[in-house]
Amino acid sequence: MKPSSSSSLFIKSIKLLSRIQIRSTRLFSTDIIDSSSTTNPKIFDRALKRRHRDRAAWLSNRRNDPLIDSVAENLLDRLQDCKREFPKALCLGGSLMAVRRSLGGRGGIETLTMMDSSLEMIRLCRESELELPDREKIETLYVVGDEEYLPVKEGSLDLVISCLGMHWTNDLPGAMIQCRMALKPDGLFLAAILGGETLREMRIACTVAEMEREGGISPRVSPLAQVRDAGNLLTRAGFALPGVDVDEYCVRYGSALEVVEHLRAMGETNALVQRSRLLRRDTALATAAVYQSMFGAEDGTVPATYQVIFMTGWKEHSSQQKAKRRGSAMVSFDDIQKHFGTPN
Amino acid sequence: MTRGRAALLLKQFNEILVCPLSKQPLRLCEESNTLISDALGVSYPIVDGIPCLVPTDGKLIETPNEDDGDDATSDSKNGDVRERAPVNP
Repeated sequence: MKPSSSSSLFIKSIKLLSRIQIRSTRLFSTDIIDSSSTTNPKIFDRALKRRHRDRAAWLSNRRNDPLIDSVAENLLDRLQDCKREFPKALCLGGSLMAVRRSLGGRGGIETLTMMDSSLEMIRLCRESELELPDREKIETLYVVGDEEYLPVKEGSLDLVISCLGMHWTNDLPGAMIQCRMALKPDGLFLAAILGGETLREMRIACTVAEMEREGGISPRVSPLAQVRDAGNLLTRAGFALPGVDVDEYCVRYGSALEVVEHLRAMGETNALVQRSRLLRRDTALATAAVYQSMFGAEDGTVPATYQVIFMTGWKEHSSQQKAKRRGSAMVSFDDIQKHFGTPN
Repeated sequence: MTRGRAALLLKQFNEILVCPLSKQPLRLCEESNTLISDALGVSYPIVDGIPCLVPTDGKLIETPNEDDGDDATSDSKNGDVRERAPVNP
C-alpha cells in the first residue's frame, strides 16, 4: 500500500471517529442533527436503533414470531436453489434468531459469523445456540458491529445474509457495497428488507389522527425502499445477476395497540432522526381509534401489512453468464428463421 | 473449554474480522482484553467474549509520548479529542 493512501485513509477515519467521540461525550441526547458536517444525510438514529434492538432482545424472550420466521424461511429457501455450498457465512442484524432457527443445515455452512449492533441480542443468540440439537450446531462467531461499518476482511466470505435489518441503514448502497467487498468472487448476498407498502394502515391512521388532534403531522413511519429501487440498489452496489422479488404479509391483531407491541418486540419502532419526541396520550388513543374504524374487520381484528423485498446478488466471477456486447451478433435473424422454419 | 474457545476466537479473528473503520487487521491485547487496531490507534472492547466493533465503542489509545503533531489530522472542530500519528503499517 502506498503511504499517501494509507495516511489519507487514516485522516478520514480519524475525523469520522473523533466526530463520533465528540458526539458521545458531549451530549447523551440522541437527537443531534449535524447535517452540516456529514456528507451523507442522517435519516436514522443508529444509537437509538441499537437500544431498540436491546429492548427487542428482552421483549422477544425467545418466543417464536410467525411473521419473522416466515420471512427468514422464505429468504433461506433461496439457499436450496443454489447448487454450490457456502462454507463461510455472515449473518447480519435484524432477525438473527429466526435465521439461525430456520437454517437447519441449509447451504452447507461451516463457520457462521453472527453480527448485530446490540450486545443483548448477540448474547441471546449465543444462549439459544446452546439449546440447539447437536447435529445442527455450527462453529459460530459472535460480533457486535454496525452494518454501516462492516468489520469484515475483504474477500473472506461465501455468503452474507441480512434479514430485516438493512432498511435501518442511513447509507443502504454503502452498506451493500461493503457486503460485496466482504464476499469472495462468486459469493452470494441475500437480503430481506421492508418495503414501502409496510404499515400503510399505520401511516394513514397516524396522519389522520395527528391532523385532527394537533393540526399537523410528523414522521411516524420511516421512509422505506420501493420495489423499483431495490434492483437499482443491487446494480449500483455492483452485484452481478441481481434478483428482486416481493412478498406481502398481512398480520391480524386484536387492536392497534398490539401492533405497536409487536413492533417493539421486533425492534422496528420509529428511529428517525427528525421524529417527534412527544406523543400525546389523546393523539395515541385517537390513532388507535382511527386505525380500528378505518381498517378494522368485522370480527374486531385489525390488519397490518408488511411488504418484504427479497434481494439476491452475486459477486462477479468469470464463470457467471454475461450479456454479449451490443452489436456483437454474428447471426442474422433471417438465418434463424430459415434454420427453424417459419411457423406454418 | 474457555481456552479452546479463546483459541477458536483468535483463529477466526485473523480470518474474518478487521477494524471497521480502516479495514486493517486487529490485534488481541490479552492484558486489557481489547482488540487493537494499530493502523488507527483505536481499541475495541471485548465484552463477555463478544468483540464489540461498532465505531462508537472504540476508544482512542492515549500514548504517553506524543509524536510530532500531525497537522493534517487536527481539525478545529475535533480539537478536543487527542490524536496521534499512525503506527507505520
